[in-house]
Amino acid sequence: MTTTTAPRPTNYLELAAAGALVAALVAALLVPPDRIQGDLARLMFVHVPSAWLAYLSFTVTLVASIAYLMRSNLRYDSLAVASGEVGVFFTGLALLTGMIWAKPIWGVWWTWDARLVTTALMFFVYLGYLGLRRGISDPVVRARRSAIFGIIAAAQIPIVHFSVVWWRTLHQPASLLRPGGSALDAPFRGGLLASVIAFTLVYAVLVRYRRQLAELESQAQSV
Amino acid sequence: MSETTPVSQASNRSAVTITYPSRPVASFSDQVKAIARKDLTAEFRTREVLAVTIPFGAVALLLVPLAVGTDTPLLQRIGTGMFWVVVAVFGVMVGMRRSGSDEGAPADALLLLGSDPAAVMTGHTLATTGLLLVFELLLLPVSIALYQPRIRGWWWLVPLLVLVAIGLGQLATLAGAVTASASVSTALVPLLVIPLAVPLLLAASQSMERLRQGSSIIGWLAVLLSTNLLLAITSVLAARPLRESPQ
Repeated sequence: MTTTTAPRPTNYLELAAAGALVAALVAALLVPPDRIQGDLARLMFVHVPSAWLAYLSFTVTLVASIAYLMRSNLRYDSLAVASGEVGVFFTGLALLTGMIWAKPIWGVWWTWDARLVTTALMFFVYLGYLGLRRGISDPVVRARRSAIFGIIAAAQIPIVHFSVVWWRTLHQPASLLRPGGSALDAPFRGGLLASVIAFTLVYAVLVRYRRQLAELESQAQSV
Repeated sequence: MSETTPVSQASNRSAVTITYPSRPVASFSDQVKAIARKDLTAEFRTREVLAVTIPFGAVALLLVPLAVGTDTPLLQRIGTGMFWVVVAVFGVMVGMRRSGSDEGAPADALLLLGSDPAAVMTGHTLATTGLLLVFELLLLPVSIALYQPRIRGWWWLVPLLVLVAIGLGQLATLAGAVTASASVSTALVPLLVIPLAVPLLLAASQSMERLRQGSSIIGWLAVLLSTNLLLAITSVLAARPLRESPQ
């Protein structure tokens, strides 16, 4: 009797994410130090992609939540939770790296700035989203209620993004994607783009694994 | 009138078919009034808000000077802000009161009666808003007596208190419906409500600051009104999917 094992599929996404991460790390190290901030400016290669991924992941949660309410397919729910969970991680990372940068530059770990406060509130709103999911055991009830909350919570995304426009803030406005071109030097801009691409690929990998885990959890609960 | 009525035959349960009325038996406004009256009657019997939450809020206002020191000018400045913080935090407790809950048998009864989920949500919101307004009106004199804020144009407080009560009432009712029957709903409701109540808190505290300076608060009232309208639309749209969830 012969046994055959299915060949393990090549994980192109993981390979691409790993390659992009290495390239982004090299780019971040090759960029010359900032004239005023020195090497501390390199924190932006983690801070900016984390903030971008916070927006992206919560937007994916919003779209998946709407899709679930329209189609009642639990695959959309697993995508919503996977993206929400990864988004909470990256929002926390953006807050943490921002605080580490702020202490030597602004002189304080935290200041009552509109961008900082709204980002922290977004973090807690989505922690509430994850808490809500943990509190409901029935998969269908959980999916429906968290989809509704996922849509309500998304109101935070434009508030955080436009906070630097609506209020006078200490936090700098958009410097990469803005009308009139980027305010960054070419090497720094290149390093930042490399890290944004690498982090986005890492996000895609994490969401894929978390989604698989969510679907396995649902299957285990239904047994 | 309903086309069919629910049937209950204890002797032959397997043969029973329950059909729900295709149309509600009462108009939308009648349903809203009935739910609000039911909630307020339950509150009148239990005195959960009047006898517990309001005194608790007053104690919180009393404790602030112990934390920040008895610096009268400082307390005059922060007093109005503390009032709104207490309204937000304890307002959530008003929304979470047991007397406003429909979980279990009452929820089944409302479903069997063919009630409109949006009407039920609006009724609960109306009752919670009324209780929040009472909460604000009773705590405001306490806050004035303790902190002696200097405010010009006291009449502006009327629309301000009403709009904040409506906004908080809507948020608390919505959060209560989303977390109904969740195992950690007591802790979850404040976590869901307080961050989302920031536009209300911001508008309320900034309005007080402008009143202190003798300026107009029309802009901030417009912010409150817009937030309330958005919340009302969200509540009505979310009511049906929330009701369709099995309890």
